[in-house]
Amino acid sequence: MQVVAPAALVVAVGIASSFVSGANEIYFLDALVSVAIVVAIYVFIGNSGVLSFGQISFVAVGAFIAGVMTVPLDSKAGVLPQLFPVLRDHTIGNVPSLLLATATGGVFAFLVGLPLMRLSGLAAGIATLAVLEITHNLLREWTKIGPGATTLSLVPETTGPLQATIGALVVVAVAFAYQRSRLGRMLRATREDAAAARGVGVNVHAQRLWAFTLSGALAAFSGALLVHELGSITTEQVYLELTFVTLAMLVVGGVSSLWGAVLGALVVSGVNSFLTEAEQGVDVGLTLDLPSGTRLILLGSLMALVLILRPAGLTGGRELRLSPPNIGSATRRRLSPRGD
Amino acid sequence: MIGLLAALDAPTVVEAFGLGAVYSLMAVGIGLVFGVLRLVNFAYGQLVMVGAYTLAFTASWPVAASIVACYAVVVALSLAMDRAVFRPLRGESPAVMLVTTFAIAFVLQAVALLIDIRDDTIGEIASSIASFNQAITVAGVDVRKITIAAMVIAVVVLALLAVLLTRTTIGLHMRAAASDIGTARLLGVQADRVIGFAVLLSGLVAATVAVILTVQNPFVGPEFALRETIVVLVGVVVGGIDRLWTATLGGFAIGFATGLINGLLPTDKTVYLPSAVFALVILVLLLRPSGLFAWGRSTTVERV
Amino acid sequence: MAETVLELVSLEVRYGPVAAVRNLSFRVLEGEIVGLIGPNGAGKSTTLHAITGLVPASAGLVRLAGRPILGQPPERIARAGVALVPEGRRIFADFTVEENLRLGLAARRGRDGARSLDSAYELFPILQEFRRRPAGLLSGGQQQQLAIGRALVAQPRLLLLDEPSLGLGPTLVDNVFEALGRIRERGMTILLVEQRAQRTVALADRTYVLANGERRLRLGPADADDTDKLVAAYLG
Repeated sequence: MQVVAPAALVVAVGIASSFVSGANEIYFLDALVSVAIVVAIYVFIGNSGVLSFGQISFVAVGAFIAGVMTVPLDSKAGVLPQLFPVLRDHTIGNVPSLLLATATGGVFAFLVGLPLMRLSGLAAGIATLAVLEITHNLLREWTKIGPGATTLSLVPETTGPLQATIGALVVVAVAFAYQRSRLGRMLRATREDAAAARGVGVNVHAQRLWAFTLSGALAAFSGALLVHELGSITTEQVYLELTFVTLAMLVVGGVSSLWGAVLGALVVSGVNSFLTEAEQGVDVGLTLDLPSGTRLILLGSLMALVLILRPAGLTGGRELRLSPPNIGSATRRRLSPRGD
Repeated sequence: MIGLLAALDAPTVVEAFGLGAVYSLMAVGIGLVFGVLRLVNFAYGQLVMVGAYTLAFTASWPVAASIVACYAVVVALSLAMDRAVFRPLRGESPAVMLVTTFAIAFVLQAVALLIDIRDDTIGEIASSIASFNQAITVAGVDVRKITIAAMVIAVVVLALLAVLLTRTTIGLHMRAAASDIGTARLLGVQADRVIGFAVLLSGLVAATVAVILTVQNPFVGPEFALRETIVVLVGVVVGGIDRLWTATLGGFAIGFATGLINGLLPTDKTVYLPSAVFALVILVLLLRPSGLFAWGRSTTVERV
Repeated sequence: MAETVLELVSLEVRYGPVAAVRNLSFRVLEGEIVGLIGPNGAGKSTTLHAITGLVPASAGLVRLAGRPILGQPPERIARAGVALVPEGRRIFADFTVEENLRLGLAARRGRDGARSLDSAYELFPILQEFRRRPAGLLSGGQQQQLAIGRALVAQPRLLLLDEPSLGLGPTLVDNVFEALGRIRERGMTILLVEQRAQRTVALADRTYVLANGERRLRLGPADADDTDKLVAAYLG
């Protein structure tokens, strides 16, 4: 079962995270939330083959709405005085905030995707980049919907090992269910050859829109997980750098497979965490103390190297499968050239 | 409508032209490399940033020497980028190239941060050339010297490029390579030489932009020109990336539009300038996905 | 004794597991026209593509005037003196006729490009008339002349043509074959790939029939009227 490997890995990380010390726990939580975000992005980019720079907009929307709606009522009016009354005078709990984020993300993605899914290739990439820019700009300046340029804090830190693991598993499960479903298969057909798919009656625009909406909902859900992990959020944390890092994770793992998304997120998150530690001095037999800033350099170089040497990523865009004992690997490869 | 236009005063329009001029230069730099390599260099802005840092680090030198150093460093970096990144990527899909150069952009920014932060502050000041940022009055209109200079430089550079591309043999070879590199090579056009020359020109333009931008804004940090690059990239795609002149026009258009919208927005709403510009961009892309200035041509870039 | 300009030895070109060209050997001597005919998919175009460096070969040798050229990049082979008139002409429609011709000069190392252009204009006067107009405005037959002129401008040692009569009406086909004859008279060495078997066999000094990637038969001008032989060669 192709969902077993990614799910098992997620659970393993989740279990490990509850056994480590407080200082290191955050790295494991980061890894799990990264899995959620990257798989959410994969649901659209991996299945449709259309490049989008804008998925982090939905993470932002989810993070901010979940964050704003869970700030304790007694502090909210003081910290965020200019909010719309409906946002300022109400506070909701943890799970409702996750659901609200998911719904908001889905609706937002649907509205954005309705016109945008007609585009492909470079135009799609640029249009989605524009969406990211607009989202960032509005969140940063419009103080009626959020904290604007200041940090949103006092958000309850409800994403511990359990919530992070379950959250990541939910996203992985939904992504898997989607790509196995008829809708998912139709979309993957358009990835190979849009014209041919149209020829057999696949409505390319509709399928892309479904995936985009689902991706947006999952991304917003991940954003809610994120804000509850950090306890705070700023607009810069869900903007270009996160876009770069999550795209790197997806690309390094392998854009076209769920296994690639999960593996990429975990590997790069691990490397990222290790490098963060190393920038502060870490002991690996000998002491490694990297100057600050090398983290991004190494991460970017890693990503560039993978793209140059192995553009299909670590997994080659293939799902992990348990090999049937009596078929040789060459035959197996010929029978299933891609994913599923 | 008339009231809206009346809100545009002469200095705003001139500044808009100035901004358009700078963006058109960046667009040409991006378009030249795209033409011969079919590669969108997301890291182009970092070339400008490196040029700006060079000017800042050589602020104690005579201005002319400082500028020469800027050109030397930027051109060297461009050529290095070509050998190390563009060459191995030849033939990959546009999306892989875009994402890889995106990664390179981040790497270069981080390297800049690393070098910059040794003196414990982020940002260097290019003090020697800041003096060109003064205002003068031309025909009763207050403009900055550098804005006029930017427009003049842009016109001169674009004119020189036009002459180079249409009247010289190397220009002919470059145009042929941009149009159909396979056939061009068949006829004996040396791909590496042509590409190297395009990269060289692109670097020279980046250095020129670095000088102009640094005069306008002498405070140089790792994110220098990052905003502008994104906007220009967007403008280039909106204008039509597959031809050099539509790409350049797209760069100019988005710069000019940004300048005008900035002038039109009420003062308390100017923070929403990016939203306004990018919303306009989305609208244009939906109406004309292959480019605003492309007459019914289908773009060759498609898949991830 | 005429010099060997082109020599193929056991050339093999594979596309994946399929061999498009198999164990192909022949030579072209200086000043002759050698024809290569055969049904669709026989490997004729592939042979030209391998010679000019557009596709890699998996085995064999190609020598130009004794120098091995197999596997080199296309622009190097062009500069060594091989000019291809590609299938479909592949002219630059947005460039002027003159610019298209000047592009042909890219393969030449010497100077006096202008004289080269003049000889092309002399061979195809219509090009002179249209020299400053966009090449896309030319008719199919005129574009074919431009493609041939462009190849000649490089003053190559070897002229390769890939189905020059494709898509042309009878009169224009006559023009093409007549032009090839005149080019041979000027001393050019030509390898001609064609679908029009009979005319090729009649014009060329020697014609080889390719089928399924292999050399099947060698024909001379005398065989041009022997329909049975031609049919057998194609189907055999």
